[in-house]
Amino acid sequence: MSDPTAEGTRPQSEAAPPAPTDSAPNTAPPYTIDYTIDELMITVMARQLQGEVLVSSVTALGALAAHLAKRTHAPDLAVLSTPESGMEVAPIPTLTLGQFLTDAQQGIPLTMEDIFDAIFLDRFRIWINPAQVDRHGHVNITAIGPWDHPKVALVGSRGIPEDTSHLSQIFYYVTSHSPRSVVEHVDFRSGAGYGPDRVRELGQPGSPTLLVTNLGVFDWSGPDHTLAAVSLHPGVTAAMVAEATPFPVATPDPIPTTAAPTPAELALIRAADPLDVRKLEFLAGRAAAEGLVNIYERERQALHAAVWPHRRSR
Amino acid sequence: MNKLMRLDEVVDAIPAGSTIAVGGSSLSRKPMSLVRALAARGRGDFRLIVDVGGPEVDLLLGTEKVRQVIYAFVGFEIMGLAPHFRRARESGSVAFQEWTEFTVMAGLDATVKRVPFLPTHVGLGTDVLAVNDAFRRFTDPFGGETLVAVPALAPDFALIHVNLADPQGNGVILGDGHVDVLCAKAAKRTILSAERVVSAEELQRYGRDVQIHRIHVDGVVEAQWGAHFTGCAPYYRADLRHVQDYLTAARDPEHWAAYVDRFVSDRHADYIAAVGGAEALIGRLEV
Repeated sequence: MSDPTAEGTRPQSEAAPPAPTDSAPNTAPPYTIDYTIDELMITVMARQLQGEVLVSSVTALGALAAHLAKRTHAPDLAVLSTPESGMEVAPIPTLTLGQFLTDAQQGIPLTMEDIFDAIFLDRFRIWINPAQVDRHGHVNITAIGPWDHPKVALVGSRGIPEDTSHLSQIFYYVTSHSPRSVVEHVDFRSGAGYGPDRVRELGQPGSPTLLVTNLGVFDWSGPDHTLAAVSLHPGVTAAMVAEATPFPVATPDPIPTTAAPTPAELALIRAADPLDVRKLEFLAGRAAAEGLVNIYERERQALHAAVWPHRRSR
Repeated sequence: MNKLMRLDEVVDAIPAGSTIAVGGSSLSRKPMSLVRALAARGRGDFRLIVDVGGPEVDLLLGTEKVRQVIYAFVGFEIMGLAPHFRRARESGSVAFQEWTEFTVMAGLDATVKRVPFLPTHVGLGTDVLAVNDAFRRFTDPFGGETLVAVPALAPDFALIHVNLADPQGNGVILGDGHVDVLCAKAAKRTILSAERVVSAEELQRYGRDVQIHRIHVDGVVEAQWGAHFTGCAPYYRADLRHVQDYLTAARDPEHWAAYVDRFVSDRHADYIAAVGGAEALIGRLEV
């Protein structure tokens, strides 16, 4: 197997290759392999994970990024099957079977105390997909509109304040980069970004590290810790980012192009997600509902097929 | 001591206005048979404490049994937002206090340790501290840094669903533990529902999986499929078909009345029959 982390050895397209979506035209240069936006984002996300830390698997994209990183450049990662549950498993994204996977693969069970202790000790990494992320790195999963009279009540801050109060690296992704999801100011700060409150009360912890969207890769290295482009995905221009973002994004010129997944990376992602659960995060309405039912009916079979036969036997 | 109870006895034992901590997490091992009984016949005006909540909060809101919810999360994960929670949050018809996952644990733990609060950094730099006036910033008396005081959360009751229990109140949890042990220890009275009640001798064979200890437990109800329509690892998974039916009904007041009529009862056997019977559940949900 080739080394999928050897990015420098792959040809990079200079002349606007096709957008990495299902609707990509069939004019791809001969060296361009077919991949979709979820796979590109997972690959980018995986490359950020390293060392010997717990990696949570709250979402399919986060789980697959952790799995891919562990199987390529970061073999020491301790990957969780669910947000809680067990480590030392290969997370198979499912809708209902995360805990079952821990038993099926004889994972090492963890408690909520174990998880939060790892967070407090900064031995934990997670990819979070907020409803809103802002110019200064604050994120929101609580409410659209004012907290006490929300236009849309979302879900509550969950464990994001824990993460942003203690982790030295925080990773965010959004699957639909638009003025609704990437905003000047979040309506509610479920998670701390850069700003006077954070500096006064927290110091360094809670510094947002990276934002991966369906358009590109961003950090907060702009003036006064504001959002800046690191690379744009193949086919994406600075003008497209400007149109989808309601504030100026610092963008170097020329802007690098996000490295595409290698064939080995794609193979690992697809093998780990036979039900295509990762695609659900990009769907809405009827398509999402149908995809969900289809996965739900098939996932027990996938779980049973995914028991690791080479694990210790009794 | 034999602590076996019937569902209707549990309902009668919980006074109006009680503060109730509910175990489980999201769509995992929620004590739904106990919750349905309270939704059907409970005296109401309850304060709910949940860490990661979902169907239990939404059902008790939808049956108007709740005056306040203390929560870190209420939702149906990838299935969508919680309709009654959303409506109540947006209309302001019920009081809500937003906590976070660890601070709910810390609040319960403070009660267990009989201290008024526990310190943390959680919440600094976020708006949780702006909207939740239960938390207080304070200065570390030793080093001078800013910390958050998480006040003790003292439930009157904890409702927890376990895989196995004995009549004395020892409980076996075979999947993720969530915050159930903390709930059981912090509450003045803890009620377990169990997939199966077994003898003390048989239960003791589970050794370290006996996570709930009888010294903290006041009642045990036998309820096979008692977590349905949430899952109970390693026995059965969440019933997402029923979740879809629930969400469809909860989004529409007319459908909701019919749903409550058909499914919300303090007779667990009636509920199991209404969702198609145990045989059908085995086929759909056993893993």
